[in-house]
Amino acid sequence: MSHEPRQRRGTGPEPAADGGQAYAIAGEGIEVTYSDGTRAVRGVDLHIPRGEFFGFLGPNGAGKTTTIKTLATLLSPTGGEVRVNGFDVSAEARKVRESIGYMAQETSVDPELTARENIRFSCEAYGVPRSERADRIDELLDLADLADVADKEADEFSGGMKKRLDAATALVHRPPLVFLDEPTTGLDPKARNRLWDYFRRINDQGTTVFLTTQYLEEADQLCDRLSVIAEGEIVATGSPDELKRRVGGEILDIELAGAEGVDAGSDGDGTDADAGPRERAATVARETDLFTNATVETTAEGLTVTAEDARAHGTDLLVALRDAGIGVTGFNIRAPTLDDVFLAITGEQLDEADEADEDAAAAEVTT
Amino acid sequence: MSTTGGGGSDGPAATDGGSAEGGASSELRSDGGTTAAATAAEGPTLERSANTFVGDVWTNFKRWNLKAVRNPFVLVVSLVQPIIFLVLFTQVFGNIAGRALPGGISYETYLVPAIAIQVSLAAAVTSGVGLVNDIEEGMFEKVLVSPMNRTAVFLGKTLAELLRIGIQICIILVLGVALGAEVATGVAGALGIVAVGVLFSLWFISFSNTLAVLTKDQESTIIAANLLQFPLLFLSSAFLPLEALPGWIQTVATLNPVTYGVDAARAIILDADVMTVIDVSLGYGAALDTIVPAVAVLGALDLVLGAVAVYMLSRATSSKVR
Repeated sequence: MSHEPRQRRGTGPEPAADGGQAYAIAGEGIEVTYSDGTRAVRGVDLHIPRGEFFGFLGPNGAGKTTTIKTLATLLSPTGGEVRVNGFDVSAEARKVRESIGYMAQETSVDPELTARENIRFSCEAYGVPRSERADRIDELLDLADLADVADKEADEFSGGMKKRLDAATALVHRPPLVFLDEPTTGLDPKARNRLWDYFRRINDQGTTVFLTTQYLEEADQLCDRLSVIAEGEIVATGSPDELKRRVGGEILDIELAGAEGVDAGSDGDGTDADAGPRERAATVARETDLFTNATVETTAEGLTVTAEDARAHGTDLLVALRDAGIGVTGFNIRAPTLDDVFLAITGEQLDEADEADEDAAAAEVTT
Repeated sequence: MSTTGGGGSDGPAATDGGSAEGGASSELRSDGGTTAAATAAEGPTLERSANTFVGDVWTNFKRWNLKAVRNPFVLVVSLVQPIIFLVLFTQVFGNIAGRALPGGISYETYLVPAIAIQVSLAAAVTSGVGLVNDIEEGMFEKVLVSPMNRTAVFLGKTLAELLRIGIQICIILVLGVALGAEVATGVAGALGIVAVGVLFSLWFISFSNTLAVLTKDQESTIIAANLLQFPLLFLSSAFLPLEALPGWIQTVATLNPVTYGVDAARAIILDADVMTVIDVSLGYGAALDTIVPAVAVLGALDLVLGAVAVYMLSRATSSKVR
């Protein structure tokens, strides 16, 4: 799969390709098999260039958390080779730890310490030079929008505030790479948007971000490139737009005059006998050579045409329909959503209501 | 917990043990050209000073002390029960129990060493509870993913707990003296009692941490540790001389660590050889004939249970997939 690294936000010249160093993460055939035989990660390859905002998208239990824990040295891979910032995650775990930030799926802050003390603890844990600590703490409190509550105990914070504090503690040593494991799960939309801004700012400063999410919107909003993972295997990789194009292009929805009336009126009577406007319109759409590789389907309202050039030639179809004497009451051209992508690739619906299952799965993984 | 060697055994693959200190991180900056820090120059640079073992211990020591100050409830709770025992036992049983004692010793003086050991026991329980809370709050994992030395992490936490236990025993001693107890060996003796209490606490700290790792549950850890507390205290030389107790209790008491802790502390407060479970005469002089064997027994126990706790913790912190 050819995925040219997109240096979207001007993170400078592309690093020299000096054997793995161009990549923040380079993994080949990563395998993680638990002792009970569960193959949580099955031969995953990852090549993530520096500066990229990379997304790992998948349903519950797909292996996202296991993968991220493996990359962050919390789990040793049972197969394959992984280098993070140029260091082997098994043999050079300590060097990997020094060079990454990690934000776990479950919010991890000490509730008995203030925001400032939480960040200070991480500064000390990551060896931020003493002379720089005070400035770094203030800078991160600002970045996380917590400056006004800096000296309050984290126990009093809302879920969103705790998450922002957690993310701030992962950035104390200005790591070139930060891992975010489902960072917005369980947050309200407002808190989520604020966190997204925060992550964009981090990435704008040049930090490579590896994010796992089960929210398609989140991947779409944030990621330069993403991989879809299902049952421990990567099933698709590309930019959000590339992945959407894979669905077969853009979608033209057409509402037809009298389409609904036909259904109601022709009860019992074969619709084949007197072809309704939908069938006639579908015939027109199929027989026209306006589109390349078009898929035409009838819907309750009328017609849906999916084609790569649906946007370019959509209006021509409307003209053709009018010439055939078929009344059009409305139309809409839209790009496929990642939902369409996900359905097409995995046949599975991402369901936010299943968070509890994911949490349970993650808890098992932790033990 | 009491030994400093075994942490961070990260499974066969990882090399983050206690040996690879300091130098590792400074390499990141010094051998430019090939390392991550150098190639990341266009992005944020990795700015850090080397982690040191002592620095990591200090960082964690401070954190746990701060938590103790923030949550004085823990400190108070582990003091309340022993204080109630001290006051009630001396006031209610003082007259009767005093009769079982050799002449001239007040029950207050006799009981204070036992209460010091009780405090040590009660406070040691909170060590495992703290670990469970850390696991539940995600701080445990946060520490594991950091470059801190893992032995240093647990050592810092344990030292903070030992400091707290020392302070709590001091409070009990002051209270005991106020109630009429007499420390025959003076201030030096009082410090000796604190030292015995701290030494005694280590095996129970190890035990409660082992429980914490096994159960990963706060209530189970508290209940299991508390259930043990009373039998341990009563089936020992803590409250009455062993000669005054039934034979089976004398047998159990011989195997009970509390007996050795209490006897050592009591030998100091009375400046006398009070140990009856092991009859040794080392020729050191009266009190030392109790203190030396008792401390040796406690030290050995600390080493054994400490090794178990270190093993359990390094298993829990290992990145080996299970």
